[in-house]
Amino acid sequence: MDAHYFFPPAAAFPLNRFLFALKSDAAVRARYAKDGEATMREHGLDDATRAALATFDRERLVGLGAHPYLVFMAQVRLTMDREPTTFEYF
Amino acid sequence: MPLVAAFACPHTPQLLVRPPTEDRALVLRVHEALGEVKRRLSAARADVIVLVAGDHIEGFFLNAVPALAVYVGARAAGEFGRYRYAFDVHEPVARAIVEQGIEAGFDLAYSQQLPLDYAFYVPLHFAMPAVAVPIVPLYVNVYLPPQPTPRRCHAWGAALRTILDARAERVALIASGGLSHFPGTERYGTPDFDFDRALLAALAEGRGAETARLTGEELDKAGNVELRTWITLLGAVGAARAEVLCYEPSWHHGNAVVAWPV
Repeated sequence: MDAHYFFPPAAAFPLNRFLFALKSDAAVRARYAKDGEATMREHGLDDATRAALATFDRERLVGLGAHPYLVFMAQVRLTMDREPTTFEYF
Repeated sequence: MPLVAAFACPHTPQLLVRPPTEDRALVLRVHEALGEVKRRLSAARADVIVLVAGDHIEGFFLNAVPALAVYVGARAAGEFGRYRYAFDVHEPVARAIVEQGIEAGFDLAYSQQLPLDYAFYVPLHFAMPAVAVPIVPLYVNVYLPPQPTPRRCHAWGAALRTILDARAERVALIASGGLSHFPGTERYGTPDFDFDRALLAALAEGRGAETARLTGEELDKAGNVELRTWITLLGAVGAARAEVLCYEPSWHHGNAVVAWPV
């Protein structure tokens, strides 16, 4: 069995760079929320990658070489922006 | 001066920013255990807190993936949601770790420009003494294969102990990580709590050195890639018997807070 956290394939670098930006850059998240398709095109993502991101399908994204943790935390940060009142801050 | 305190803490962000999926009572019990770490850190009158944590692809992206690294900037800052953190870095201790670590044969990377990862500031949010203490962030690569071997992490921890014991400052050491969890994978809802419980039982008997014999594959299978930070600390604390302050398995994460007498 492959490792849960596998070596990131070079071909998936644009996808991983985009997920990293979604996770760590509030400006990219805001732009993505406003115009997802344009933001993904600006980041050089191909058709299959954009389609997988449109539904944020974990299995498809990981199948394309996305780092599982980046998928996870990008989604958490997008949800925190979208539904801020559902979170309790300590 | 010998280390004045040693702990391992979890850092899962749901402890800081709780979504409705998380059991509030469980989260508060982990906060209580981290509060005990805060009380003990305060009582130990630490001059500096050295934290060993794994980067969540925050400070280091695929531009460079160091196995072991030291942050040697003047301040360490990061943000999560509405939280903004900034800690003074203890530069003399950070420099000593880089310089003497390299002399000891560990090819450490260092940086003066990194956003601080939440693996560092989540434990500090709850455990930093009221009068803030400067920190030294130490990085172990846990999420981007190939990661350093458990054997190497353990050896680095032993070398780190030698460096820290030679300092005049009162140094506390904290490992941040774990226990079992699988973020972003199909195993997210099924962590390996049996692995965690067996590990904690072994650590309570002072058998931490056994973790140096684990393989990277075993850690990945058990959802414990972050255990490398603990293994580094175990190299520093030797055969000291762990005191488990809490073990709180949630639906996706084994939260453990542990103290070692040093």
